[in-house]
Amino acid sequence: MSTSGDARLPAPPATVAVWDLPLRLCHWALAASVLVAWFSANVDDAVHEISGYVALSLVAFRILWGFVGPRYARFRDFVPTPRVLLRYLSDLAQGRTTLYLGHNPAGAAMTVLLLVLLAIATITGWMQLTRRFFGVTWVEMVHTYSSNLVLVLAIVHVLGVLLMCWLQKENLVPAMITGRKRAASEHKEDG
Amino acid sequence: MRAAICIGVTMVFMSAGALADGFKNCTKEPKASWQPATAAEAAATAAGYEVRKSKVEGSCYEVYGVNKQGKLFELFYNPVDLKLMHTKAK
Repeated sequence: MSTSGDARLPAPPATVAVWDLPLRLCHWALAASVLVAWFSANVDDAVHEISGYVALSLVAFRILWGFVGPRYARFRDFVPTPRVLLRYLSDLAQGRTTLYLGHNPAGAAMTVLLLVLLAIATITGWMQLTRRFFGVTWVEMVHTYSSNLVLVLAIVHVLGVLLMCWLQKENLVPAMITGRKRAASEHKEDG
Repeated sequence: MRAAICIGVTMVFMSAGALADGFKNCTKEPKASWQPATAAEAAATAAGYEVRKSKVEGSCYEVYGVNKQGKLFELFYNPVDLKLMHTKAK
């Protein structure tokens, strides 16, 4: 915001790099391809199919990145145990949150859930274009239900981000653009 | 970023509106005068397709068929006279 070096403004808070560039590009490209796929369904088959293949590739990349990517991208770093997740959610219900630099347990659970459902939705979409599964009703049904669930979860994901922004007084959207979040010390001071 | 989102959303709606390719209109006759869907499936089978399933799409019977070469098609039949109105290769 301030480029004038106004002495009255406090120094910008220290930030640390959290989300790596491939992860961020993957995130926004996936968001875009899911939107395009959603709006092109039953409207424009070519656009729907291409956006579906793009989404499938991005999901495959993200899963791979969850094993070989940098620290905050790794599943091992963020996938919570059910116990940790439940405690976090019950704290959250009372408006209490612990600060995490990477994914918090709820965000982590949403990430995994979205990736699994996106994998199901894109693979069943692809299957319908194969000779083996063309016109097979259960494939079509799984595709429809998983795709609808992806959209519902994506909306919950956005609402969850907004809730976190509000509870923790940190705008998380720029973090997914620049990759940087406030340093842990800043977090604690805000408490 | 905001500009990119605007452009993206606009493109989505443009593509959704301008390129609509769903084939839906085969007849204006009331449903009471339609033949059963199995008649459309039989027509596709007779034309050499392996029929996977059929459904009502607008005022058409849409039959999912695989031809002798293994190519995938959606065949749209007029439900009254079973005329093939549209063939969409997948």
